[in-house]
Amino acid sequence: MLNPLRSEDDAFRVLLYVIAVFVVIIALIVILRAIL
Amino acid sequence: MEAASIAHAAGHAGEDHHGPPPANKSSRVEAPLLGMLLFIISEVMIFGAFFTAYFFIRIAEGDPWPAPGTKLPVPVALVNTLILISSSFTLHWAETSIKRGNRFGLKAGMLSTFLLGCTFLFIQINEYANIGFAPQDHAQQTIFYSLTGLHGAHVFIGLLILLSVTVRAFRGHYSPDSHRGVDVPGIYWHFVDIMWIVVYTTVYIL
Repeated sequence: MLNPLRSEDDAFRVLLYVIAVFVVIIALIVILRAIL
Repeated sequence: MEAASIAHAAGHAGEDHHGPPPANKSSRVEAPLLGMLLFIISEVMIFGAFFTAYFFIRIAEGDPWPAPGTKLPVPVALVNTLILISSSFTLHWAETSIKRGNRFGLKAGMLSTFLLGCTFLFIQINEYANIGFAPQDHAQQTIFYSLTGLHGAHVFIGLLILLSVTVRAFRGHYSPDSHRGVDVPGIYWHFVDIMWIVVYTTVYIL
């Protein structure tokens, strides 16, 4: 199981997941603002 | 009594241990890692308190964000976000390098991480100087300075830690078998980076 507090490697992988979520949130906001 | 003390001394003579006895180890997790784990859990709670204030004024109070008549420098902050994300990549490069015994990668990775962190902090201070409003102007501005300032303080502490790791790297410390001193500060720096992504998304984007 991924645990960001176990090692630098895991912490870095969690960072990548957070970036992916961040990109999705921004994309959704940009799309919603264009539509609404 | 005398026999007991002789037996005690004999028991110690067989061990190759000097100095105080080892600390009681009740956790299977190594102490440096456990310390960082507990520290980060407490950090999440501190940031949680500040985010509570942010969501309170936006959702419970229904105040507009940002305050009327003010503008947040979203593009500059986005560039700053990319700089901080890059610093996590260079730090990971340093960490993987030392695991493989690549000393150049460790030194170059640590130095570039430190410089990218300094750049982030410099841009943020510059942003404060030119943003055009003060913390006491509105509740929104108080929250803005509190959240970004709390994070900035963490970046500053992180930079001090990174500087120490960088200096040690240039002095020949760390090896493929012994790199805990890069690993644990690395977890802290990635945490600071992740926290900034959350701060940036809530303060500048949402």
